[in-house]
Amino acid sequence: MRPCLLVGALLLPTLLVAQTAAKSAVPRASDGKPDLTGVWQGGSTRRGSWEEANSGAGVGGTGRDANAPAALASTTRPPGREPPPYKPEAAKKVLESYNNRAVDDPTAFCLPPGTPRTTLVGLFPMQIIQTPKQIVMLYEYMNVFRVIPLNAKHPEDMESSYMGDSVAHWEGDTLVVDVTGFNDKSWLIGAGTFHTEALHVTERYTRVDKDQINYDVVMEDPNVLTKPWPFHSTLMLREGTRLREYPCAENNLDPGRYEKLLKDGVNFRRQQQ
Amino acid sequence: MLKRFWLAAGLLLAALPVLAHHSFGAEYDVNKPITLSGVVTKVEWTNPHSHFYLDVKDASGAVVNWKFEGYPPNVLYRTGWKKEVTLKPGDTITVFAWRARDGTAWAHSREVTFHDGKKLFFGPPAGTGDGGETPPVEVK
Repeated sequence: MRPCLLVGALLLPTLLVAQTAAKSAVPRASDGKPDLTGVWQGGSTRRGSWEEANSGAGVGGTGRDANAPAALASTTRPPGREPPPYKPEAAKKVLESYNNRAVDDPTAFCLPPGTPRTTLVGLFPMQIIQTPKQIVMLYEYMNVFRVIPLNAKHPEDMESSYMGDSVAHWEGDTLVVDVTGFNDKSWLIGAGTFHTEALHVTERYTRVDKDQINYDVVMEDPNVLTKPWPFHSTLMLREGTRLREYPCAENNLDPGRYEKLLKDGVNFRRQQQ
Repeated sequence: MLKRFWLAAGLLLAALPVLAHHSFGAEYDVNKPITLSGVVTKVEWTNPHSHFYLDVKDASGAVVNWKFEGYPPNVLYRTGWKKEVTLKPGDTITVFAWRARDGTAWAHSREVTFHDGKKLFFGPPAGTGDGGETPPVEVK
């Protein structure tokens, strides 16, 4: 009995360490690549279930933990991140659009939020389904999706779109997604951050452990930006969360209201500080 | 003392988180918070915003039917609400909200307090959808 106990006592810490390591290890697909499959929450840094991670008093939070952070807004650039390097003329248009965001925001009309804005939304989950030949990204917000072929070229007859055309390849353990073929109707990150059809987005998804994907994106648009705009965020795993439908146009009263408010002379433009 | 209050109020406003489908500031006035009690007459579990209607007695005893806007169904579900269970016509509740800018019986709901004292958020904090406290660019 005694030797057994001794062996058990010696093994116990090893087992605990092994268990911890297994919990945080990066899951691998059958082809050896990191498996990004799962339901994720953008713009969050908290681990745990949806309920555990969204216990703050902010947007989408239950308020059970007053100190917990809020989910990220689709119209908001997180504080402390690098601001967009707009050319002076373009910056004026951003400000104008920001001041008119109630009517300029494409999502006020339930239109697709674009890339990368859709990925950064914290209020609604997204789902990644990975196969050896393509990656599918499903977004609850506005019910949009991206079907991303691996090791493929953008089509010759690409038509401009809100979400753009995406192709991907692996660079080591990082999935690199090249997105182009955008229309000029979506915003990048933050209210008013318009772009032109020249927009080129490069996204890098690196699953650093079981719970976290590092999301590093670079936006380039030589028509309006002075240089590439890098942005770093994280996607956090939300086990147990299922995507639900979000038929935004079901009962969208907002455009009609804005029109009436404008007609009635209600000034809803943000006052400059 | 008053100075301290305004400082605290300012800090609170600056700290308010932001986001969502449309601009809070466009339709609602953060300077007009209101708390009302009444009887639920209708619940609209719809996108992009849910609504409920509340019969509220005014000072003269007349009943006014108020409309409150809130989260879409998916967010309500994830914050603890169940469709046709948590809130039903006939329920007596108290709601904290911010009034619409047009001055009608319409508001942006935040916290609902039920008959048994339980509380749930029906809508996000004030400032939601306002695009942040500062513009994304500086224009000189």
